[in-house]
Amino acid sequence: MLDFFQTLSDGVLFGATYALIGIGFTLVFGVMHKINMAYAAASVGGAYAGLLVLKVMATAPPALVFFCAFVAGGLLGWMVYVACFHFIPLSSPLATLMSTVGMMLLIDEVIVHVTDGMPQGYPAMFDDVMLRAGEFSMRGDLLLVFGVAVLAMIGLLLLLYRTRLGLATRAVSQQPVAAQLCGIRLVRVNALTFIVTGLLGGLAGALIGASVGTLSPLLTVPLTVKGLIVTVIGGLGSVPGAIVAGLLVGGFENVLQLYRGVTERDLYVMLLLFVFLVFRPGGIFAAKGGRD
Amino acid sequence: MKKLALAVSLALAAGVAQAQTIKIAGFGAKSGVVRSFGINSEAAMLAAADQINKAGGVKLADGSKAKIEVEFLDDRCDAAEGISVIRRIAGTNAVVAVGPTCSNVAEPLFGILQKKVGDAGDSGLQMPVFTDVAIKVGLAKISEWAFRNVPNEMTMYNSLFYWLHTQHPQLKTVYGGVEEDFAHSRATWYIVMKPRAEASGFSVVGNTKWLLADTNFATQVREMKKANADIVAISAHPFSTCGVLKEMQRQGVKPKLLVGLTSSSSLETLQGCAKQAEGIIIPTSFAPINKDAVAAAKTTAKFKGAADLHSMAAWENMFILKNVMEAEGISGKPGDVQSDRRKIRDGLAKLKTTNGLIGVTKRDAEGEADKPYVFVHAKKGEWKVLYNPL
Repeated sequence: MLDFFQTLSDGVLFGATYALIGIGFTLVFGVMHKINMAYAAASVGGAYAGLLVLKVMATAPPALVFFCAFVAGGLLGWMVYVACFHFIPLSSPLATLMSTVGMMLLIDEVIVHVTDGMPQGYPAMFDDVMLRAGEFSMRGDLLLVFGVAVLAMIGLLLLLYRTRLGLATRAVSQQPVAAQLCGIRLVRVNALTFIVTGLLGGLAGALIGASVGTLSPLLTVPLTVKGLIVTVIGGLGSVPGAIVAGLLVGGFENVLQLYRGVTERDLYVMLLLFVFLVFRPGGIFAAKGGRD
Repeated sequence: MKKLALAVSLALAAGVAQAQTIKIAGFGAKSGVVRSFGINSEAAMLAAADQINKAGGVKLADGSKAKIEVEFLDDRCDAAEGISVIRRIAGTNAVVAVGPTCSNVAEPLFGILQKKVGDAGDSGLQMPVFTDVAIKVGLAKISEWAFRNVPNEMTMYNSLFYWLHTQHPQLKTVYGGVEEDFAHSRATWYIVMKPRAEASGFSVVGNTKWLLADTNFATQVREMKKANADIVAISAHPFSTCGVLKEMQRQGVKPKLLVGLTSSSSLETLQGCAKQAEGIIIPTSFAPINKDAVAAAKTTAKFKGAADLHSMAAWENMFILKNVMEAEGISGKPGDVQSDRRKIRDGLAKLKTTNGLIGVTKRDAEGEADKPYVFVHAKKGEWKVLYNPL
């Protein structure tokens, strides 16, 4: 029984990394009703950029690396917006989807060419902290990721519901034409959404790099897939949904891995997604009514 | 008028020089997560070609000399791309191909080559392929046009576990960690490491599995911890090896010895987790243990490549091919490309031994190599030779 709870706990905590990526996907979808396939790649790119700090100052504290990743993530988010959304007609859903897929591949390949694909050790915070209760243990660095995910959710909800930017964002999300008629600058709100999600993505990438201990371009595709699954299961556009779904997917896959093995693990995650798509297509936090 | 004559003679001379070039095509991963393998192989091939050309080049059948020209193509470590690349190479004047990087490319790629030489009913490609990196055991038998200069893991791990058993008789048990979705690492654990450890008197008490791009190894390391084996053998590539080693550190799993996969005796592992990899023992077919090996590594570095067991196999291939081309008397003429390819194939098939950088490589009838090897271990961020069985 201890095995079960330990595995569940490990998975749920690691699921916080999926939640962080899921938040980015869901926020962009919530505002623009578009999927940004380049989000996880940009997050990993931001994390790589954070390592530049160590090139300049080898003894830089991890917090500085994380901050640099945070800023670089925001910059990458803005670049993704400009390249994949600003000049492309938003009326065509396939156009932006394909442009972000292209951007994902581009960012991935740039990382590969700069690093020759070599894994890079990533500095961690609280990686030596292990909370123990008898045989049961919890990783300090994953608790940090979990905490950041919760703080990100609270911060984003405050941003959305307590600020003028949030008001504008919600207005654009619900009625873009009416929002423009009210004087809200659509382009500015969309760009800021990408910058905010990018900032969060950069931090998420750094936290993932730190929790794995190593950064590699190999992370991009699995994180994209998990991020999308989490977004759908949580409910497209729902920030709390992304967090709950991230933790759920993390715990679910880890428990299934324990009982069915690593080769079957992802099959069950896909099955979970299928079950949601059939029985609760709006996700855990499905909106009660349709959008106006 | 004089200027015109000069221009004509220069053009003619250039034409002659053009004809006196032998093209060797390299191919491997130059993009994607194993890009470093392709970069290093290309650098080693260019460095070796440069050295051969500076020494005069390759002697052709008519007694003239030709320079070697290397063209390296990217297969992205993708089987479909690899097949497309070898078809493209076959359409050029390249007389032989060196590659690929990945076993999952080599296996299907060898499958599109003609299986039996001279079989008129087999329309497979008639292109000699001399592999430098893809290491999965037993692939050369797929086609008589496929040859390999990769280490024989069976021999290396047999020797390693035997040596460990004699050096550390108090160690009794081995536990495996396998990257389950990668052809090479999977085959190495199940076909090589596990049976060889048992044959040397160790008791294999279990194994755990993960995937190449996995990020969470907590469950696997917990299983490893429960097994409490004396030796942990990790059959995985650098990214997941580092992930597992870091998780082992977190969970306080400290086996008495760590054994790693041949391909992980590279710069990548040290770049990803030098501290956690400290002490890991890996058999490898290259280490700078003599003058030739050191010189090859230095020359390759000038072409922006790192010397490791894979890239130095590409270096060796170039010199082996030079000798074969000279021994078989290829013409180097554009119209004789196919007959030159056949001569090179026949020459490679005749080889029973070849000279490598750290010793003599034996070859079996199937074209598989049995390369000399040493055991290295990670020490203070570098690979150091632990034992040289030569």
